[in-house]
Amino acid sequence: MMGSLGILTYFTNGGEVMSVAKITDIPPAVPGLFTLPPYDMCPPMLLGGFCQVCNRYYFPRPRYCRVCLGEVVETTLGSKGTIYCFTVVLRKAPLGLPNPYGVGYVDLTESGLRIFGLLDPAAIGRIQIGMRVRLAVAPLGDDGHGSPRLRPYFTPV
Amino acid sequence: MASVEIIGVGMIPFGKHQERTLVDMGAEAAFLGLKDAGVKPAQVDACFFANAFGGRLFGDITIGQNVFWDVGINRVPVINVENACTSGSTAFYLAYNSIAAGQAELALVVGAEKLYVPELGLLNSGETEWETQLGQVVSTGFAMRAIRHMMEFGTTIEQLAQVAVKNRRHGQLNPLAQFREPVTVEDVLASTMIVKPFTRLQCCPNADGAAAVVLSSPKVARTLTRRVRVNAAVLCSGSYESPQDLTHWETDYRAAKLAYEKAGIGPEDLDLVECHDPFTIAEILHCEALGLCAVGEGGKLVEENQTMLGGRIPINVSGGLLSRGHPLGATGVAQIFEIVTHLRKEAGARQVERAKVGLAHCMGGDKAMDTKSCTIAILSV
Repeated sequence: MMGSLGILTYFTNGGEVMSVAKITDIPPAVPGLFTLPPYDMCPPMLLGGFCQVCNRYYFPRPRYCRVCLGEVVETTLGSKGTIYCFTVVLRKAPLGLPNPYGVGYVDLTESGLRIFGLLDPAAIGRIQIGMRVRLAVAPLGDDGHGSPRLRPYFTPV
Repeated sequence: MASVEIIGVGMIPFGKHQERTLVDMGAEAAFLGLKDAGVKPAQVDACFFANAFGGRLFGDITIGQNVFWDVGINRVPVINVENACTSGSTAFYLAYNSIAAGQAELALVVGAEKLYVPELGLLNSGETEWETQLGQVVSTGFAMRAIRHMMEFGTTIEQLAQVAVKNRRHGQLNPLAQFREPVTVEDVLASTMIVKPFTRLQCCPNADGAAAVVLSSPKVARTLTRRVRVNAAVLCSGSYESPQDLTHWETDYRAAKLAYEKAGIGPEDLDLVECHDPFTIAEILHCEALGLCAVGEGGKLVEENQTMLGGRIPINVSGGLLSRGHPLGATGVAQIFEIVTHLRKEAGARQVERAKVGLAHCMGGDKAMDTKSCTIAILSV
């Protein structure tokens, strides 16, 4: 969704395409869930937690390990997964998300976690259960008051 | 555990009450409950008030004290309860526990909610939650459960629609239900698509409403007729480890097992069930978890009219959330109202014949592929 000359385009409520400032100027909708741009060196990835004692992954990263209450270190959870299930919301999109928008549960390849996430608005007609997807990050929706926010979403590989 | 009885219930019609406040509706339900029980305000020694959205929509807090003073109750413990859609049934659970523990002799539970406000939008678990920020609304989890159930068990869209058709048919017989016009499978499937695969008529309507239940120890209940015994009241929260299975709803099965164990009965002993049906698939899943049919056969159960009034195990004879409407804090209390009404043989046109044992089931909120709470109460005469 990156436009030419570093100007970014994104979908808004109503499906129109808007242009805004540089991606690095836009804050994430939720801090700590995914790696932030620029993505010159490596693709966007989800951020989670790992307890080295219990050998357990978490998403999002909790303050304490839920088994041993020990330290949970921040870790990347990769960018690849498989669609377990998905749906499309056709009415009253919240937070400036496009109408319609898709969400799903994705089985992450590296950690085995099954997590909730947005789907690529440009690809919701093509998404299927069992499909391999990768993570992307772009301005998608807003903060509830019209200021754009970065959100992670899954797009077909 | 000491036994606990229900000695009174009250409920106002669910629907649009735009001229009324939460307190006004709650107080009327409380009044109806106290009158039904035949008790005076001074006899009540513990109060529980359930509401989910009053704080968010109106900025109100500690609403219970206002409601209970409007029916002349003060000084006694008042507890304000919020647990999403199970706020009302959680308040009931707390009242049950407080009497069973000997802390109170006579408790009043009121649930009230006012959801007809402009620009409500789709309900969610709160805008600070990361899943809400990534587009989760209450309907998305149930929608994906429906899609997986259809894929794994061959459940059809017509079977989903039949849940809505049946509950509307039941609602026609309930003067307190919000939507009472019959609908057909074709009507349900032709209504506006909201969240795939749910059309509008597969989603419960918002509502304003209130309901009340009066509970007592056997010592107080002995002086009253028309009493109903509480055999079990359980509350569970969800399983948040990943991954969870969307079709085998572990929390639902766990709560059912616990309730049956505590009551010392099984699903075959039930005469009627009120369950949480905010979306059609929910009733199908709960039938399976409650052991009313085999796993995967919830769709067939409704298709064969087994859950219709007059069928093997009538479900949501009140009309359910789909027809009665879903004023969150009031819903769990309204379900108890319905079961009690049948056990006392006072349900009129929708009376389940020979009703001796009934079960009320509710769920609320979303977290990590599961619910935030699940309640079950088993009542009998």
